[in-house]
Amino acid sequence: MLAIIIGTHGYFARELLSTAEMIFGSSSNVKSIHLIPGKGVEDLVKEYEAALEELDTKDGVIFLNDLFGGSPYNAACRIAMQSDGYGVVAGVNLPMLIEMLSIQSNTEGISIVELTEKAIEAGKMGLNNFHRTLLKDSGEDEL
Amino acid sequence: MEISYVRIDDRLIHGQVATVWVKTYDCNRIMCCSDEVAQDELRKQLVLQVAPPGLKAYIVPVAKAIEAFKNPKYDSFKTFFLFTNPTDVLRMVEGGVPFDLVNLGGMRYVEGKTQISPAVSVNEQDVDSLKKLSDLGVKLEMRQLVKDPKVDVIEKLQTMKLL
Repeated sequence: MLAIIIGTHGYFARELLSTAEMIFGSSSNVKSIHLIPGKGVEDLVKEYEAALEELDTKDGVIFLNDLFGGSPYNAACRIAMQSDGYGVVAGVNLPMLIEMLSIQSNTEGISIVELTEKAIEAGKMGLNNFHRTLLKDSGEDEL
Repeated sequence: MEISYVRIDDRLIHGQVATVWVKTYDCNRIMCCSDEVAQDELRKQLVLQVAPPGLKAYIVPVAKAIEAFKNPKYDSFKTFFLFTNPTDVLRMVEGGVPFDLVNLGGMRYVEGKTQISPAVSVNEQDVDSLKKLSDLGVKLEMRQLVKDPKVDVIEKLQTMKLL
């Protein structure tokens, strides 16, 4: 089963997971890591390493981070240099997390790089805008 | 038309239905069957626009849904059916649509209803329709989220002395 580590500034990670569970149901083999004031990249690296000890990582690990270039992301990249089995995605949003939770048990035959691409695709698909002038004529939707 | 899945959820197409349920049960169409919503243009538009990309959604009155089910023009449809209440589901089954399993996912609490689970509240008419569906051989399972355990609806109603 794919391991997922969500690493963000503040407690966004655990709240994001908690919200995802409202939609998806209970999760497993997922850990949330938080950068709180006073901590730095080194602390995060240690916390990621501790998380990797606890998780089942034989099918690989995906790190989902909030900001590209931020400390949680940089620390994840540092870890990801250690193994082909580790991938990192920055810009985590709820649709991305839900998708990763959905496929966690079915990643056989999908490479870690492909998984990071799937995560990005899911994150993008979740973006949508609404304005009443943008609504299609409902005539098309008739049977 | 193939039946992919049948769910009672008074929020129709929303968050977890659009992102989790329709992916769990293979389908290429979503059909919301409700006389009330079909004639409410505003609500209809708002529900249709949250259909997941790539999945065509319809909101039709129950009678039209029954007709469409029987129409060979729609043989290629693999449909995820959504209803707001069990009485409409009963109408479909009595109209000849062979549902064998119905998922009771969400019916919000309003005054006068009895809450039977965090997501489901029922009144007398709901209970009556559920019983009739069960008598017709339709399996009724209560599950709000895909990963929740399946609860037999009739057993639950009996435990709560509603049946």
